Amino acid sequence: MYTATRVIGYGALLSALMAGPGLLPATAAEQSTFDVTVLAASCANCHGTDGRSPGSIPSIAGRPESILGEQLKAFKSDNPPAGTTVMNRLAKGLSDEQLDALALHFSQIAQSSPSQEASKP
Amino acid sequence: MSQSVKFSRRQWLASVGKATAAGAVLMMAPAYAKGSAGKVVVIGGGFGGATAAKYLKRRNPAIDVTLVEPAKTYYTCPFTNLYFGGLRTFEQQGHGFDELRSLGVKVIHDYAAGVDANGKKVSLAGGESLDYDKLLLSPGIDFRWNALEGYDEAAAELAPHAWKAGDQSILLKKQLESMPDGGTFLMAAPANPFRCPPGPYERVSMVAHYLKHNKPKSKILILDSKDAFSKQGLFQAGWERFYGGLIEWVPLAKDGKVVRVDAGTLSVETEFGQIHKADVLNIIPPQKAGAIADAAGVTNESGWVPVKHQTFESELVPDIYVVGDATVAAPMPKSGFSANAQAKVAAAAIVNALAGKPQAEASFANTCYSLIAPDYGISVAHTYLLQDGKIAEASGGVSPADANDTFRKLEAEYGVSWYKAIALDTWGTRS
Repeated sequence: MYTATRVIGYGALLSALMAGPGLLPATAAEQSTFDVTVLAASCANCHGTDGRSPGSIPSIAGRPESILGEQLKAFKSDNPPAGTTVMNRLAKGLSDEQLDALALHFSQIAQSSPSQEASKP
Repeated sequence: MSQSVKFSRRQWLASVGKATAAGAVLMMAPAYAKGSAGKVVVIGGGFGGATAAKYLKRRNPAIDVTLVEPAKTYYTCPFTNLYFGGLRTFEQQGHGFDELRSLGVKVIHDYAAGVDANGKKVSLAGGESLDYDKLLLSPGIDFRWNALEGYDEAAAELAPHAWKAGDQSILLKKQLESMPDGGTFLMAAPANPFRCPPGPYERVSMVAHYLKHNKPKSKILILDSKDAFSKQGLFQAGWERFYGGLIEWVPLAKDGKVVRVDAGTLSVETEFGQIHKADVLNIIPPQKAGAIADAAGVTNESGWVPVKHQTFESELVPDIYVVGDATVAAPMPKSGFSANAQAKVAAAAIVNALAGKPQAEASFANTCYSLIAPDYGISVAHTYLLQDGKIAEASGGVSPADANDTFRKLEAEYGVSWYKAIALDTWGTRS
């Protein structure tokens, strides 16, 4: 209502100011898009910010995409790996596409600290 | 979708940069305050507020973020039960705001006194006034004093709630330590909804652990205003195993509902007139959203805050977002984990709204670990997605009833690891 109208108003303003590709259609504010960083944000609660764990729960940052993807799907299966605690209960609620997106996302984050990551080329 | 799935973090960061450039154009729009990428005020420095401030800055450092929190050190409720059990110090519960400052968040230690939603201003108890484009409230809970007859702030000094961490926690711990062996620890547990559904029962477990090793002739009596509770089967099996007959739970149906408190004599009266006398009386009273939510006009007749689950923006007042225990977000529980998860969704929603971008799909998780004995942990874990705009469980459940001791020990360890991770994620503190 108020907010949606305003966002659409800005969309129109943007169109007027900068005609070109990548602009929002006027209806965009009503739709939602997929942003893996939103999906991944809950993982940090246990696995640490950006998947770097400060405790005994495994770190997931910087591990190979294929290994993360296989592990997530194994967690989701009806016969999860021995020693699985909460991950079977959590992974079952996500689609294979979402699990693949998470695997790719965390594989692309450096295992080391953010400052080291920032200094990389 | 497959295209956005392949969007790398670096590309995403680059797109945030572009969004910021677009924000520079949007600055010409009159609704933005003080010529920035937007000005956000966050009220409350707990799991929800501190996380929101951090993730707003992570997503767009150009946004002007101010956090208002009275305490210079925030003490968490989660894990205070381990303090009662003698497994942890109270100081380990404390977290400061240095990381937020280093990210460029302006941290003001003051009380938020009022919100002018039309003028988009927050007034502080100290007299300052803060303008905002978007306001995020993470006010936690307040108590409904006297909703339970005889239980007010003065009574809480004799019969502590210890349901907000701080002096109340220290008071309850001292009372427990000075209780005579053979005494009764009586807890009045509230009806739903309330902060931390498994909390009362973990507290009882940790008090039982302390009593078993220090005052083994003592008893614990739980008078409950409901007939079922979180992880009930697992808790009761654990109590039987570790604490034998030390703990008695009286449900609503068996006259468990406390209707009157006499803090002076440490006694309570139930619905059908039974009087129970305690040596330590722990009253967990009925609750509502933290007071600033009322002042902002975002609460409904239930005393809690209805929000749009896609963004956690108030259903009642535009440009005010509310996260955490104060909100109506069932089936998500009122937990620190939920507050942290909701804050990240709200932060993304605010950043997108300020940049004029479409909203991202919301998704949430919650995992609550509870400790029954030092090496014996249990959990409840759920993934949540939106269905028709409302939060719905996508999967989840409690730890298996037939799990072996290795599993329980692992969940006890993971509970500790969870606390470290969420403290680091929320405040940047290492404990």
